[in-house]
Amino acid sequence: MATDKNNDFTPNIIGFLCNWCTYTGADLAGTSRLQYPPSILPIRVMCSSRVDPLFLISSILRGADAVLVGGCHPGDCHYQKGNYYTRRRFALLKKVFDTFGLESDRIRLSWISASEGPRFAQVVTEYTGKIKELGPNKYAEEVFL
Amino acid sequence: MKKTKSVVVVGSGIAGIQASLDLAEIGAEVHLVEKTPSIGGRMAQLDKTFPTNDCSLCILSPKMSECARHPGITLHMNSELLSIDGESGDFSVKIKENATYIDADKCVNCGLCEEKCPTKVTDEFDAELRERKAIYRYFLQSVPANYVIDPKYCLKITKGVCGLCEKTCPAEAIDFDDTDKEIAIDCGAVILATGIDAFDPLVYGQYGYKKFPNVVTSLEFERMLCASGPLMGHVVCPGNDKEPKNIAFIQCVGSRDRENAKNYCSSVCCMYAIKEAIIAREHIKGLDATIFFMDVRAYGKDFDRYYERAEKQFGVEFIRSRVAKITELPGGDLRVHYANPDGSKDTRDFSLVVLSVGIQPRKDIQQLAENTGIKLDEFGFCRTGEFNPLDTTRPGVFVCGAIGGPKDIPESVMAASGAVSRAAKLLELKRQEKVSKKEFPPEKDVFGDRPRIGAFICHCGINIGGIVDVPSVVEYARSLPNVEHAEEVLYACSADCLETIKQAIVEKNLNRVLVAACTPRTHEPLFRETLREAGLNQYLFEMANIRDQCSWAHMNEPEMATIKAKELVEMGIAKARRLTPLQKLPVEIDPKALVIGGGLAGITAALELADAGFRVFLVEKEPQLGGNFARVKFAFNGGDPQAFLAEKIREISDNELVTVYTGAGIKGIDGYIGNFKTTVALPDGKSIELEHGVVIVATGAREYETEEYQYRKSKRVVTQLEFEKLLAEGYLTGKPIQNIVMINCVGSREEGRQYCSRLCCAQSIRNALKVKELRPATDVYVLYRDIRTYGTKEKYFGEAREKGVIFSRYDLETKPTVEPINPENPRSKLRVTSFDPILGRKFAIDADLVVLAVSIDAPAENEELAKMLKVPLNADRFFLEAHVKLRPVDFATDGVFVCGLAHCPKNSAESITQATAAAARAMTVLNKMVIEAEGSICEVNPELCAGCGLCVEVCPYAAAQMDEEKGVAVINEALCKGCGACAASCRSGAIDLRGFTNQQIYLAIDSLETVEIEG
Amino acid sequence: MSGKLKIKGDPNDSIRGFLRHLLESGKIDGVFALGKTGKGLNYLLVTDKEKVDELYPLFPFMPENAANLLSRLTFSGPLPGKIAVVIKPCELRAFVELVKREQASRDNLVFISPVCGGVLDFVQYKNDALEKSVPGYMKSFAKRENAENIRPTCRACEYFIPINADITVIPAEEACEFYLNTDKAGEITKGAPGDLSDGELDEAAFEPLMGSRKAEKEKLFEELKLEDYGIKGLVEVFGKCLGCHGCMSVCPICYCALCAFESKDNEFTPPVFESELTKRGGLRVPPNTIFYHLGRITHMGISCVGCGMCSDVCPVDIPVSSIFLRSGDAVQKVFDYLPGKDIEEPVPLSTFIEDELTEVED
Repeated sequence: MATDKNNDFTPNIIGFLCNWCTYTGADLAGTSRLQYPPSILPIRVMCSSRVDPLFLISSILRGADAVLVGGCHPGDCHYQKGNYYTRRRFALLKKVFDTFGLESDRIRLSWISASEGPRFAQVVTEYTGKIKELGPNKYAEEVFL
Repeated sequence: MKKTKSVVVVGSGIAGIQASLDLAEIGAEVHLVEKTPSIGGRMAQLDKTFPTNDCSLCILSPKMSECARHPGITLHMNSELLSIDGESGDFSVKIKENATYIDADKCVNCGLCEEKCPTKVTDEFDAELRERKAIYRYFLQSVPANYVIDPKYCLKITKGVCGLCEKTCPAEAIDFDDTDKEIAIDCGAVILATGIDAFDPLVYGQYGYKKFPNVVTSLEFERMLCASGPLMGHVVCPGNDKEPKNIAFIQCVGSRDRENAKNYCSSVCCMYAIKEAIIAREHIKGLDATIFFMDVRAYGKDFDRYYERAEKQFGVEFIRSRVAKITELPGGDLRVHYANPDGSKDTRDFSLVVLSVGIQPRKDIQQLAENTGIKLDEFGFCRTGEFNPLDTTRPGVFVCGAIGGPKDIPESVMAASGAVSRAAKLLELKRQEKVSKKEFPPEKDVFGDRPRIGAFICHCGINIGGIVDVPSVVEYARSLPNVEHAEEVLYACSADCLETIKQAIVEKNLNRVLVAACTPRTHEPLFRETLREAGLNQYLFEMANIRDQCSWAHMNEPEMATIKAKELVEMGIAKARRLTPLQKLPVEIDPKALVIGGGLAGITAALELADAGFRVFLVEKEPQLGGNFARVKFAFNGGDPQAFLAEKIREISDNELVTVYTGAGIKGIDGYIGNFKTTVALPDGKSIELEHGVVIVATGAREYETEEYQYRKSKRVVTQLEFEKLLAEGYLTGKPIQNIVMINCVGSREEGRQYCSRLCCAQSIRNALKVKELRPATDVYVLYRDIRTYGTKEKYFGEAREKGVIFSRYDLETKPTVEPINPENPRSKLRVTSFDPILGRKFAIDADLVVLAVSIDAPAENEELAKMLKVPLNADRFFLEAHVKLRPVDFATDGVFVCGLAHCPKNSAESITQATAAAARAMTVLNKMVIEAEGSICEVNPELCAGCGLCVEVCPYAAAQMDEEKGVAVINEALCKGCGACAASCRSGAIDLRGFTNQQIYLAIDSLETVEIEG
Repeated sequence: MSGKLKIKGDPNDSIRGFLRHLLESGKIDGVFALGKTGKGLNYLLVTDKEKVDELYPLFPFMPENAANLLSRLTFSGPLPGKIAVVIKPCELRAFVELVKREQASRDNLVFISPVCGGVLDFVQYKNDALEKSVPGYMKSFAKRENAENIRPTCRACEYFIPINADITVIPAEEACEFYLNTDKAGEITKGAPGDLSDGELDEAAFEPLMGSRKAEKEKLFEELKLEDYGIKGLVEVFGKCLGCHGCMSVCPICYCALCAFESKDNEFTPPVFESELTKRGGLRVPPNTIFYHLGRITHMGISCVGCGMCSDVCPVDIPVSSIFLRSGDAVQKVFDYLPGKDIEEPVPLSTFIEDELTEVED
């Protein structure tokens, strides 16, 4: 969590972005100079299916305020069907979060294509707002990890 | 006669660079001849590129570096072409290498000489907005990077005095005894890519260029905008050094102007003006930008969306008017005098006026034509044929880039690759056995060594440095464990910075490198190669994207952007600690090609490849070849499209290397670059399996089936292609046809099809001229939104008006209507009503025939094929290339290429060019026996593997398989694409993805939140 | 194939007679079932018909989930002879999951599984109190009611009628009924003692038991209040965890050669300790307890059969089996998946439907 001049809470959102769609879309948002909050910290992966649900659990336990998994739209996967597996794994994890009352809003799966720079900016902006409402991730202060 | 593998490319702009790189990749020995001290050409002068606002130098720089470093390319800098003797396949080319008085091998680019040099000269690269010295570097990111002496101004050379530089130079690189040298090169072909000049607006006295300091040309403005330009991107009016409040762009300066012998459209000015307006507004808050234009020619792929964004999102104002004159106000502001659409006169005051100057042939083009023995067209561009757009009048000499007529960057790149295919068949090119001609030093063994990380933080001019506090990021990086070296660099990708990185690797004994700059998607290969050159394994490299995903996205929050940049650097360093050396697996290439689609593009690509000696499978879904082109009846130059097509089809059937499958469909495509397997369904219900190394997508497009304007309801409404058929069948012969009304943009440039179909304006005009030729008494009306006869087609627009074709503009809000005069009679003539903005009222025409220029539609089947090939489509369902500027025929997926209408609407010459380019790009693969597979692939730790087989089930490439004997999974390295789906499915972590390992990712996650917030 | 064989005698006697006959007649070569080992009860594999006397195949106790043992027996290939396997329904379901995940072979095995009244817990075993509990247990089962001292997870188990058994046994005081579900079962029972007749298992007869199981499950979930845990709840409940990983070692679905959570990759390195301490100012040592439990649920939850072994072995009485039953139940519902139901059905994470789960996309 970082705080800006006005002491506003700026969440840390780890973004697992697939190289071919969402990462490219994020680059496009930049080249188009679309402005969005500096909350997202991208980790580039070649495919969203690389994202082990444990990465998300680990991120949240280590204090990330949220995790965004970004992949190609269903059917557009550069690796044919990786994002379908991603979706199943994510659905499972989200259910685990829900079952334990763990603020499953702190994990998000979004499909953002290489040409959707504006959508990337919008998703980050909107998600940042949502996480601001949720407040900082309490796990960041917990001693028992 | 094939005697040599040498080829000469003249001119090293983006076209010359692309041509050289492709030729070198095919195995040719390239001599690249460049007049100036650096390669890069016009594109290097540009700030940004439309319609993506990509930073021009950012995307060009890697290509420049690659070109300079390619072992197959010899650069002849400061050189001119003198003559071409001999004949196609066996030329002797003479060039003159001008003396630079500096030994480029010795020069260390330290710049001490420049400091001492007393002679100041206006700098031509920076559009004369800045002064340089007589000893100088062409520009900051020059390739090669060495200094040169300008003999026209050097006191030692002109007057025999001074020589300070020689005394200062620590490298003893200066040699006043240097002389011009003549060199003869034997080669099989010559490619001319000498580019264009910008129009000099001095002849437009009414605009006050050079008289009023605040009137600048678009090229000057481009340099003013550029972060590395003379103003460092801080735009001020030259006359009063004030930041402009508003800017006017005046279009068509030196274009579409018959009086000044510029009866052509420069094709690029509308788009660059829109781009400059958008970028200027980014630089200066609250700036108003107004563009005075005749027609907005946003005809290219995704151009119209850019135009719309400029107007709606960025608030750029567009005024349709030709500016009469400009006067200066006290204080330096300017008054623009112009006419409103109704003829009334008006004025507006501006701080700065930008003249959108056109493209014109180089001043020395006549000399070049004489030296090379080629002929020019009426405008002074190189003469080519409508169906041979890359061939000059002299066999064996080819052209690419704007020398053949106005072109934007992707068209120049396409033409460059196209010219390569044309030239390649004259060269003796064997399939290359080795992966890389380039020799790298042996890789240092870093196994077991403690990480010693070098961090290089890029300013990217002011792109990063203007927002992110780069020095503090460097400090932060330096404080991190294992970071042995951290420094800031101006442009990490420039040749001198790459050299800096290499030196640091050696001197500081670095074994991991992090570059925090732009996106790894474009720049990772360049830096990886730099590591190799320094003797490090290329996978010991990591990038932090602090520009595209940081400084550019958080321009208004510099402090937060700096914190984020630190976090990104820390994440990168965390990952870098665990990087390990990886090796690439060689993949054998099956030297056969599959071309999907047998229209003009497919036929062209197939023939080009077959002529180069490759086996080609051509699959066409219709029972015969020809596609849309089979319906084109007329050409502008009087050529016969159908005779041309018949000849091509005959060549195909005569060529033993091409197997044609008509009435056939693609059922499935498996495999990867070099090793595809495609199942083709044949008309007899059987199917066959083809094995090939590359795929060229040339599936075309089709006419939009409109429901507007009584189409399909009245027999008197036809499309332009249907009209051509009518004309060819004698529709006008002996019939009193009074009125023909053409309506343009039917379906195009509106909701659902927010793109220009590009070729219809010229097609309407061509058909209108045909009507006038066949029956001058018939009145032809063309209802249009903008006339987009870009390039040299503009002259036909003028010709049509001369011949009495009537043009009337309409807006989307006031579309024409078409109603039968007698609704009872199905054969009734039609009443066309439209609002003419110049007349200011509606008018009606009773038409014998209404001809619709319907939009070009991407077929729905594209989606299926795209899925099979795993390649993307754009929002309009056209195939989406790897990069809209610099990779216009490639897909991100290796070994798959696109050409023709499948890519976006384009005319036949453009389809031929792109198809020829696709063939050349395919040859860069096919002419190698092996290429290297990805090094970042999955591996199994058999000790950890429980053999559950989940990885086998999720692997899309059948790369993960069970070793039944050992009961563990194994990965086939040639098949693995490195997606990592298996790694994430493996609970025990027995499978890991090299380069993206669990540990690397966990460490990146763990590095979170340790950036201290200052203050 | 369907058929019913009725053999007189108390449950263990009647099934011993049956198994002895199978061995004698050479229809099978061995028996895998619970047996006496000194003061204890353990699974035995016997081939000598005399040793059948030492078996207590229907004893309501689970010393270890048999699927684990069968996986060890058959991982590198089927057993050489035909083996009759007498295991509980949840063990059989776990075994099917292991077969799907290539951890066991079904070949040469004949599965005999009882309609299960639940099993007695480890506390009674430790106190040598199992035998005492049996009469009451049998009485309750005869009434199709939950016995008093079975484990909480068993009380809430809805899958007490075996799925995928060749032979289903209904234990009773006077005579056991053997329902022959497969051709294989029909084949080996030919000539067996007892009365062979037509007939299928009357599931409706177990409605009362099913009713109370469902009610118990609802009650268990309600009392657990997992959805109220949040971070606080996790810390509260798992605060007692010693990190022995006993729950993982007894879990039939945890078949990994080395659990990811025990691998070096998940150990904190000094820089990670440093950054974590900077953040938190303190850290439980060793860390990663919550990561282990949450992560393990994502690994085994989809195939969890609720066998209850984890709770039995937990030295600090964390209700792990209830927690896993509850969360497993939730994730299985996402994919409409019942572990152990269909041997042909792929594990949910190795397959997908193109048009599904759009509700998790955002």
